[in-house]
Amino acid sequence: MPASGSIAGPVQALINEFSKLPTVGPKTAARLVFYLLNRPRHEAQSLSEAILAVKDKVRFCSVCFSLTEEDPCALCTDERRDRATLCVVAEAKDIYAIERTAAFKGRYHVLGGLISPMDGIGPAQLHVKELIERIGEEAPAEIIVATNPNAEGEATALYLSRLIQPLGVSVTRLAYGLPIGGDLDYADEITVAKAIEGRRTL
Amino acid sequence: MQLTRIALSNFRNYAQLDLEPSPGLNVIVGANAQGKSNLLEAIAMLGTGKSFRTGRESDLIREGIDLAVIGGDARVRAGVVHLGCTLTKSVRGMRKHYTINGQGVRYAKFLGSIKVVTFVPADLQLVVGPPSLRRGFLNMALAQEERGYYRAFVRYQKALQQKSALLRGSIAPDEELLAIYDHALVESGTQVMLMRNHLVAAIGRHAQETHARWTAGRETFAVRYAPNVPFEAPTADSIGSAFAARLREVAPMERARKTTLAGPHRDDVGLWLDGGSLAAYGSQGQQRTAVLALKVAEYNVMKDRSGEAPLLLLDDVLSELDEARAAAFLTAVGGYEQAFVTATHLPAGLPAGAHVYSVVQASVRPEVAC
Ligand SMILES: [Zn+2]
Repeated sequence: MPASGSIAGPVQALINEFSKLPTVGPKTAARLVFYLLNRPRHEAQSLSEAILAVKDKVRFCSVCFSLTEEDPCALCTDERRDRATLCVVAEAKDIYAIERTAAFKGRYHVLGGLISPMDGIGPAQLHVKELIERIGEEAPAEIIVATNPNAEGEATALYLSRLIQPLGVSVTRLAYGLPIGGDLDYADEITVAKAIEGRRTL
Repeated sequence: MQLTRIALSNFRNYAQLDLEPSPGLNVIVGANAQGKSNLLEAIAMLGTGKSFRTGRESDLIREGIDLAVIGGDARVRAGVVHLGCTLTKSVRGMRKHYTINGQGVRYAKFLGSIKVVTFVPADLQLVVGPPSLRRGFLNMALAQEERGYYRAFVRYQKALQQKSALLRGSIAPDEELLAIYDHALVESGTQVMLMRNHLVAAIGRHAQETHARWTAGRETFAVRYAPNVPFEAPTADSIGSAFAARLREVAPMERARKTTLAGPHRDDVGLWLDGGSLAAYGSQGQQRTAVLALKVAEYNVMKDRSGEAPLLLLDDVLSELDEARAAAFLTAVGGYEQAFVTATHLPAGLPAGAHVYSVVQASVRPEVAC
């Protein structure tokens, strides 16, 4: 932006910082900055402290590679969690999505991404080796691969199942289906086809 | 089908436009850089969701603005449909959002809501140009009419990019991973080849007929699918096993050369005149006649398959043709419900009842009908 003199240096600097965040464009960034300018100082202070705390206090769990303040994380040390099932996810945020459902009682393993050679990400860049080691140590009965049903998620799931199956552990994939409350009419063909593939007896 | 209304906001050089085109032939006349091709491009984007021009996508939005909207009402067999395409400029490039009757939809769903056949000067290279031009010709037609083609095509492209990156050595070599991408290539590539094979057969029949009529049967034009991976029968089984076998065959060479060597991304369409290659041996006139026959065939096949006449969009192409060819072309696609033609001067030999519009600096005015 040209030095028009209308926007003070620190304001422009913060707009630039916000613009780097995902889904935030320059307009939203400016809106956030002007909002903050109108708030009391302590609010800005707690925001900046919260941001630094995330970087300083949160680290990766050395067992499951989820985000945690304590290592190992609360999920890994919780004795009530079932050791027989291990759910493999791409990112730590996927754990929150599954935990919200309270439908899964086992443990997790975070890969740290999905296989995508065009982005320079292969198995070696992910926590795949650690997964194999864990399977050896913890001897789970079932591995649930919960990657997204897109091209990278599919390739990663296939790769893991080819790798794990020889170890004699059963590997399952999340069922695809129709959104609850959704209309069969409005679902695309692939979703409907996958839902039919994954049908169950009633 | 028929476009009953087109509305533009900040698209290319148009600040605002609200136009109700006529049924039948709409001729848009204007000097260069006034906005006639931009109008045609906007109409095409309602069908294909993408520009038929090359160049920077951000140029689609009027300078100094970060939001452009193309809206259109179309009468199709199922009723009246309102289509919207919103373009937003952001730091990370251009984003497009699509709506059908006000509901946000994904690109795959938007594609082909109305069908368009575009004919631009670059299409005149269809015979002599590189194979990518002929693949593009097939892709555009198939993406609009075959549900599933676009998805299979995208899946194929993705697997191909990943495999290429793997072969190039962007990550450590991994045979297991190569096998996974090859599997995805065979699965999606088989669908692509199968649909291309059907389309070329249909286009070939139509093009041959039209061509024979034009040349009074003196010359025989043949259009043949030239898949990079030959197969015995046009069935998913036959194509799939041929492709898988071919991939196994070229595997050592692909690894040595660090590049993908087989698959429909290397397909072509063979164009023959009396048994000889048109590109190599045809005269310029013969090549041009063949291109016109192909475009007429594309139009008629799309019409036959969907049971509805697509919109016909001719950008600056009639002026490239002599009067006899231009008239023959318009007669051959005589079954159109609505066509849009741009030209710098009113083309000679227009059919009666054509509606003429003039474009001056992004302002479109109907002229007295001729
Ligand atoms: Zn943990």
